[in-house]
Order: sequence, then C-alpha cells, then structure tokens
Amino acid sequence: MTIPGFILRNALRNKRRLVLTVLSVALSLFLFTTLQTALHLMAHPPTTEEAALRIATRHRVSLANVLPVKYQLRIERLPGVKYCSKFTFFGGIYKDQSHSNFAQFAVDADRILRIFSEMIVPRQQEEAFVKEKTACIVGAKLMERFGWKIGDRITFQGTIWGCDPELTIRGVYHGQGIDETLVFFHHDYFDELMGDRGLVGTFWTKAESAEAIPTLIDQIDAAFRNTDAETKTETERAFQLEFISMLGNVKLFIGSISTVIVFTMLLVTASTMSMAIRERSREMAILKAVGFNGTQIFSLILAESFGLAMTGGLLGCFGAKLLFTHVDVYKLSHGNVPMFPVTTDVIALGLLVALGLGVVSSLAPARASIKTTVVEGLKELD
Amino acid sequence: MPEPIVQIRDLSKVYGRGEIEVRALDHVSLDIAAGEFLALMGPSGSGKSTLLHIIAGIDRPTGGQCIVQGTNVAELSETDLADWRNANVGFVFQTFNLIPVLTAFENVELPLLLTTLTASERRSHVEAALELVGLADRMTHLPRQLSGGQEQRVAIARALVMDPTLLVADEPTGNLDAHAAADVLSLLQRLNQEAGKTVILVTHDPKAASYARRTAHLEKGELLNGDGTKH
Repeated sequence: MTIPGFILRNALRNKRRLVLTVLSVALSLFLFTTLQTALHLMAHPPTTEEAALRIATRHRVSLANVLPVKYQLRIERLPGVKYCSKFTFFGGIYKDQSHSNFAQFAVDADRILRIFSEMIVPRQQEEAFVKEKTACIVGAKLMERFGWKIGDRITFQGTIWGCDPELTIRGVYHGQGIDETLVFFHHDYFDELMGDRGLVGTFWTKAESAEAIPTLIDQIDAAFRNTDAETKTETERAFQLEFISMLGNVKLFIGSISTVIVFTMLLVTASTMSMAIRERSREMAILKAVGFNGTQIFSLILAESFGLAMTGGLLGCFGAKLLFTHVDVYKLSHGNVPMFPVTTDVIALGLLVALGLGVVSSLAPARASIKTTVVEGLKELD
Repeated sequence: MPEPIVQIRDLSKVYGRGEIEVRALDHVSLDIAAGEFLALMGPSGSGKSTLLHIIAGIDRPTGGQCIVQGTNVAELSETDLADWRNANVGFVFQTFNLIPVLTAFENVELPLLLTTLTASERRSHVEAALELVGLADRMTHLPRQLSGGQEQRVAIARALVMDPTLLVADEPTGNLDAHAAADVLSLLQRLNQEAGKTVILVTHDPKAASYARRTAHLEKGELLNGDGTKH
C-alpha cells in the first residue's frame, strides 16, 4: 500500500456519496464553464487576423443615427485606405418574428468580400451576387437552418427602414471563426427602395496595413468634424465591444450567477468533506496514535478533497468542451447562438475554481481533525 | 532491578477549569522497568487509562514528569511526539480500531508508511508481525471478515510492526469472549517473555491482570500501595 493508495481507498469507502458529490461538482463546473464561455465571448468576440485591418465609422452620437453616403468618397481618398463599403443594418423580419433572429446588412456588393476576406464564396457565386442588384449572399449555417438553396427568393419585412427587399440567393459564404448566419445584399438596391435618400448606417474600411490604422482613425474623424454628422471611427474589436456593452448588465448578471454556483459548490463539497472526516474521527485518532502528525493528517484530507473536486472539475469542464465542440450549438439554440467555443482560458479558470474548491473545503475538517487530540478522537467511538 | 524504562514523578492530570475540576491523576509516582509486564488496575474513573495515555504520549499531564526511555514526553512538540509514538510505542485498544477499508496486511503496514522502508522491506516486516500473532493466512482479509479475537491480534501486529520497546494495551479484552481474551493475553505475555517487550496493560479484570508480572492499583487518581493504602 502507498499513501496515495490509502487516500484513494478512503475516498472510495462511500461510493454513492462520492459519485453524487463528484456529479454535483461536475454539473456545477459545467454550468460555470458554460457561463464563463458566454462571458468570454462577450469580452472577447471572435476575431480573425483580417479583423486587425478593419475599422468602422459610425455617427458620433449613436449607431441609430445615419451618415450621408457622400462620406464614402472622402474616406476612400484618404491615404492608407484599401477598400471602403457602406454597411447598413437592415434588421428585417423573415416570415415572422420567431424566424428573425439573424441580421441582414446592405453593403457594397463589389467590395464587401474584399473587406471581409475571411468570408469564402465560390467565384461564380460572387460574380452572380455582384452582377444582380437584388442578389444576396447568405451564411452557410443560415442556409442549412432554413433549407434554402441558391436561387431561392426571400423577402424581408423592414422594421427599422420602410421597405421590404425581395432578394434572390446567389451565393453562400463560409469561413473559420466567423458568423455564418448573416445576409448581405446590395446597398444600391436598399437605396433604391428607400428613394435614394443617401443614408448609410456605418462605413467599413480595410486599411492597407495595421500600422496605418491609428492615423486613419484620426483622419476620418477629423474630416467630418464640425459637420452635421460627426463620426466616430474605431477598430473592429472596439466596435464589437461597444456593441456588446449595449447589452447592459448582462455581464454582471452572468458573473453573479457564476459566483453563486461556485459558492454553492463550496458548501456542497465542504459539507461532504466534513461529513466524511467526522465519520472517521476515531480513525484519524488512530492515525495520530501510530505516528501521523498534524501536517500529514492535513495532507491526507487535502488530497482527498482535492481529488474529489478536481475529478468533478475535469468532468464538468471537459464535458462542456466536448459537448459544445460536438453539438451544433447554432441549431440547438434555434439560431440564437452562432458559435460557442469553450476556450482553454475558460477551462483553466474552471479547473482553478475546482482546485480552490478542493483546498478551501478541506480547511475546516482538517483543522477540526488536527485540533482533536488522540484521546478525544478515541472517545468518539465509545 | 533493571533500569526503569518509564519514570513517573508526581504526575497530575486535571480536566476542566474554574469551579468544575476533575482530578484524574493526583501526584502519581511510578517506575516501570524495561521488560516488565505491568497491569494497571482500578475501577472506572480511577485514572488508569489517563495514566496509560500520558505514558504513551497521546495525552499530556498538567503537572509532574513522565520520562519514557529518557524522554520527557510532555516536553515534546506535537510533531516530535507523533514521531516518538511511531518509533517507541505500540497501541492496542479495546475496540481494535482497525481501518475498515484496509486489509489486515494494510492495517499492519500503516505505521510503516511513515518510514523510509521500501515496499519489500515493509512487506517482510508486516508478514513477520502477522506471523507472530498467528494470522499469516488472514493477510488479505478485511476487518469485517475477521472475528473479534483475530481483529485484536491484527491490532497487536500493527502495534508490533515498528518493533517498539513499549506496548500499551487499554482493556484489550473488553470486547472479546473468554477464549479470545485468553488468546490475546497469552500473546501479550509471550511478547513480554520471549520478545522482551515492556507491556503496560490497563484492565479492571483481575483474571486479565493475572497475566502480568506486577499489578499497580489506582483509585480516584491516586496510586495505592500493595496493602491498599495510598502512597
């Protein structure tokens, strides 16, 4: 027998309790990992290398205010600009409200795929999209969700804008780490439907290099300073984070639930460990009598508690990773969550919580066990 | 008389504080020679178990001295005391106190886990100890698969495995039938006579005490003379 073997034997003595406790820790850590992944996605939206070259220009007041279309020409003339596209959120309804949890954007068809080059569209489809004013390209996941095919006609009922674009699907885009649930159609068509009022939600610009971006941001905003529609230009990442910040206190809410989960886990594990050690108080006394000292007793209890919490932690964290890797989250969430990658950082955080849990929950029973003298411990059996 | 292995001088133990005080031991002085088999007798609450616990280093006196093999056990830190117990004292308790999830072999091996012995060295020590108590054929049995007498013999093997000089037994036959009790007492006697172990046996049973070479009587925490008068 070895000391680790002895610890394992102790841990396994009440198998039902062990299984239930490990499962409760695993389930809690699974929830914790899921919530932390959601938080992580909010704080660190998915990004690509290409994203570092993109900047977004919007009205300085808010995203709800529009910019004049003429700004595009001035932006395009600035040194360091490779491409610039109009980019207006349409936000229409497809069939009914329950089918409309995806976004549509009016864009410059001939530039959008240059700016967002991680969106991969077969050349023929791209050409068809650019050529036809009422054409659109659709994300692969969205195509799959609605069972659409190339050539299908779809209509969106405007809720923000007073028009209902009727579109023909001419292309499907896909790509690694990008949202495949969007619809892009011609800004020209949108303008036409809106009576050529020249209104644009945002402009997206691709810079020639990442180094050019800080200067470009300053130059764009300076170009429209003291106009009726001053701009705010920022990097794609900053733009995304700002967009997410509009969700308000969701982060705080998720953070609070995570804290409650961790605290509940702590109570469950501490209670289990206390019970397990309390039942063994006379055995602890015997161990002391045969020569185990306080540090060694503490180590035995700590190792058992740590093992229990880490087993639950590994099951919960890697269970979440496995589930969200192999399950189609987009389909499962009815199109509300395009992707849900459980990152190494989140798993590490979950395991760190499990580790802390193991240590903290062992403190009280270990302290009680060390403080109890051999004689007191032996008396508990009589 | 051989050199005393245990020297107790003016030993007191008081439980509780303030108005409610229980004097478990009251200025007890006693010498126990190396290789002696001493029975500590007395009625319940006489302080015999307390005296045994202090000698064995699992309790501390509130006054006086208890020197075992030249070490004043009361002066040792908790960690040193644990090491000292591991090396010098073998315990046998009334209720056997075996770890239920470990086999007889593993229970006996437990004190050896604290040493630097290799697994094979530990195995030979454990086998020798179980052989000595006549349980070589029960090594893989769990405590629940053994009779009370066998459990107590495993406990004795565990007490012996570190080869301590001092063997302390607190009512070791209290939970055994007459036959098993006689076996255990004979074993303790044999360990004293043949292996030279110093055995201190706490009992209130005169028949058990008859296995010892000397008997000391305690009453209300005080040691009685041979004629029943107090020291």
